[in-house]
Amino acid sequence: MTDKSEVRTALYGQTLLAGLWRENPVFRLLLGMCPTLAVTAAVKPALTMGLCVIFVLVCSNIIVSLMRNLLKPHLRILMFTLTIATFVTIADLFLKAFQPEMSEVLGPYVPLIIVNCIIICRAEACASKNGLVVSVIDAVGMGVGFTLTLCVLAGVRELLATGAIFEIQILALLKGGGWFVPWAAMGMPVGAFITLGLMLGLVNVITKKDA
Amino acid sequence: MLKIKHFIQQSWLLIVASFFFGLLIAVTNAALSPRIEQNKINKRNRLVGAMLPDAKNFVLLEAEIEIESIQGKKEKVEVYRAMSEAGECVGWSFNAAGSGFADKIELVVAVDKDFEKLAGFDVLVSNETPGFGDQIKYDYYKDQFKGAPAEELKLIPSGDPKKIDAEIVAISGATVSSESVVEIINNFLIQIKKQMPKKD
Repeated sequence: MTDKSEVRTALYGQTLLAGLWRENPVFRLLLGMCPTLAVTAAVKPALTMGLCVIFVLVCSNIIVSLMRNLLKPHLRILMFTLTIATFVTIADLFLKAFQPEMSEVLGPYVPLIIVNCIIICRAEACASKNGLVVSVIDAVGMGVGFTLTLCVLAGVRELLATGAIFEIQILALLKGGGWFVPWAAMGMPVGAFITLGLMLGLVNVITKKDA
Repeated sequence: MLKIKHFIQQSWLLIVASFFFGLLIAVTNAALSPRIEQNKINKRNRLVGAMLPDAKNFVLLEAEIEIESIQGKKEKVEVYRAMSEAGECVGWSFNAAGSGFADKIELVVAVDKDFEKLAGFDVLVSNETPGFGDQIKYDYYKDQFKGAPAEELKLIPSGDPKKIDAEIVAISGATVSSESVVEIINNFLIQIKKQMPKKD
């Protein structure tokens, strides 16, 4: 979990960078594993999911930060969930209206952002204790960190599963006279677990060197 | 009295927020729902339009059609009449759903105007194994249904997929997925065919 006093006193820049690396939601906090594993078969859905999470995170952090002094301690989780659910529903409606194909690919995982721990964690650990500016910066940092992580993971999986990144063919397929044999397992859940596991290990090795 | 006061004190924010958020969702929904509906119609028109090239308009059939799903549940089915530009019936389309290998499969099926031949099917929702089961979306599998007789279809393990008849050649490595599609189509097609109102 986040060191609360540290977040409170941290400079804006530090708050922003925290989400990208030091407290990266996927690699360091290990939060939001459900979308991380489920929608990273290709970069496009991963990016869409990331953008939705940024939108919800920023909106809910703004609202929670604004009403932080009115919150009753025992009702706060209820308020957080209510706020998050509202913005997730709005994001879902926008996706259905303007990106119907992406909405179908993501399926239930957009409504499932409601139970994404990153958002409730940021509401609890940051927005309910900090002013508007810090909360927004924190939301952007965490959201971008989450999106970038998802895209990297999805990039690796999409490349190995189809030889393409962002649906642009990079490796010549054996079928088309090239050499690359698509690795279907990488597009399946097993590929998500293996890739995420290896990346977590890699991040741990790097941070150990830093320390 | 004291209890009510305590209750209001504790929960006024929650009540106000619920109303406010509810309003926010209602407004967004009201603004976007025509577009969402249009997207759904466009998608069906695009998919069915590819199977019934003359179709321009889709009109919901008024007669109520109810079928029994493979699991034995009664379901209402919306059958659409595909109309040409001149207003003639050129075929029919309906959505069919059932369980696949990994998850539910939802199909849109098109039939010719006399309900004698299938015009084809397309996959609306599926979550079959990439590389194996998801080949139900590939043309070589789907094309077997184009022009197949609108009667009980049979899945055969091997054969010539190019031959158009009631025998559907299974996808190698994905027997369950291929069988699911055939089962779903059979189940819906035969029951709907029986209930179709006689032609005027």
